[in-house]
Amino acid sequence: MIELRQLTKRYGEVAVVDGLSFDVRPGVVTGFLGPNGAGKTSTMRMILGLDRPTSGSATIGGRRYADLPVPLREVGALLDAQAAHPRRTAFDHLLSLAYANGIGRRRVEEVLGIVGLADVAGRRPGGFSLGMKQRLGIAVALLGDPPVVLLDEPVNGLDPEGIRWIRTLTRGLADEGRTVLLSSHLMSEMALTADHLVVIGRGRLIADTGLEAFVQAAAQQGVLVRTPDAPRLASLLRDAGAAVRPGADGGLMVTGMSGAEVGGLAGAHGIVLHELTPRRASLEDAYLELTGDSVEFAASAAGAAA
Amino acid sequence: MTAYDVLRSEWVKFRSIRAMLGCLAGAVVAAGAYGYLFGTAAARDYLDASAADRAAFDPTETAFRALVLVGVLVSAVGVLAVTSEYAAGTMPVSVTAVPRRGLLLLGKGAVVAVTTLLAGPPLALLSFTLSQEALAAHGVPSAGPGDPGVPGALLGAGLFTGLIGLFGMALGFLLRRSAGAVSLGAFLLILPGTAGLFPKPVAEWIVTWWPSAAGARIFAVHPGHELLAPLAGAGVLAAAVLVLLCAAVAVFRRRDA
Repeated sequence: MIELRQLTKRYGEVAVVDGLSFDVRPGVVTGFLGPNGAGKTSTMRMILGLDRPTSGSATIGGRRYADLPVPLREVGALLDAQAAHPRRTAFDHLLSLAYANGIGRRRVEEVLGIVGLADVAGRRPGGFSLGMKQRLGIAVALLGDPPVVLLDEPVNGLDPEGIRWIRTLTRGLADEGRTVLLSSHLMSEMALTADHLVVIGRGRLIADTGLEAFVQAAAQQGVLVRTPDAPRLASLLRDAGAAVRPGADGGLMVTGMSGAEVGGLAGAHGIVLHELTPRRASLEDAYLELTGDSVEFAASAAGAAA
Repeated sequence: MTAYDVLRSEWVKFRSIRAMLGCLAGAVVAAGAYGYLFGTAAARDYLDASAADRAAFDPTETAFRALVLVGVLVSAVGVLAVTSEYAAGTMPVSVTAVPRRGLLLLGKGAVVAVTTLLAGPPLALLSFTLSQEALAAHGVPSAGPGDPGVPGALLGAGLFTGLIGLFGMALGFLLRRSAGAVSLGAFLLILPGTAGLFPKPVAEWIVTWWPSAAGARIFAVHPGHELLAPLAGAGVLAAAVLVLLCAAVAVFRRRDA
């Protein structure tokens, strides 16, 4: 269990993390979402005692990270997959960290097996692919067989097989009753991996909710209609009390009316329809809707249209 | 997590970086080559000198001059023990494994100090032997390793290189960049070589009190009374290194890793 209470990190006037409070519970995969620059990495670095909070606290099982007697046995973390000396073998990289926490060679060999790097244990990470480096970073996180696992953007740059592997691994860790916090800026990935979501933007908490509840709350249902006579249908729909806005490719996005009602109305007035599709907002849409105001460098609407 | 655990961990890191071996190999080459060159130069001076100067000639004086230059490579060992972590981005990983940063720094310091301390006497013996060979080859009086005062200077070399190794490590923690820390370290070490360019009182102060010059007094087989006694000189170097280490601890504990 990780507990954040009013966690804040300021650099001068700028608050990177701003009064963040939430719990990360055991037994589920908690997705930690936010646009780039939202403060996810800063938050994780403070949980791990790497950065000093300006105020507030982050504790693991009630203790600050720095107070954990054998930290790798309590918390495993992947922050930066590139963090390995390019000329030090994978085995020695792991061994140096294992020894520091009284963990032996056998466990090093074991985790190399778990992440599928046993065959390249004696090779230098300088020649590793991104996926192999990612696996080496995960091996570090698993060294102490910890009940709490933090992974920062673990699927970044991975191929589909690697992504699936991370997904299976984190699911397995949660099923074993561990606390798993997984950060990402990709909603689609979280939809497949996480049970619970913590969404932040500009260092502030936006949502702390189950995956289903998140979708329900944010998703807007609607109907996409395509017709050669769009202006007329639009005014008819508005008269009937529906909300209409331009959808993709000249279609109309109708909310407040079911597909059958829209079709009926069009039929009654003899309007030809080329498409009539009930739309459920995707998770991606829900996420963008929520974080839309908090994106650091959003492309302007005009720029997108051009 | 005990001090022993951290020590083992740091030793694995140290031995698994080839640049360390490179620096130590370079130190061997520098000790041998400069030992011989300083010996040859001293022999030439002797042959040109007056009878009175010849009578005052001390063959051991040139024997360890190479060690200050060797110190540049030894301090690089200390620097790299730290900056290799910053360069590779592994410092955050190391700090999560050992959140007690003072302990982490101590572990690194112990590994650096012991390896550079052990390297000192063999390097000094190499420099001594080749310089005396060079003197003897020119028919100039030379000393043997068993002569009075020489064994002490050879062992003292361990103290010198050990302190220089820690000096490099402290600079590594303070600057976090290999290039910056290595070049600043080199400059600070060889600065006494340029003392003659300064006004006389400044030059005298540098030759007497500048930590690398004072520390090199440990090599004085016949110390005389003009400069610090060997152990007092080593004490000055030790004090300077201690100040840098305290600054390194303070900065390392305070800064975000």
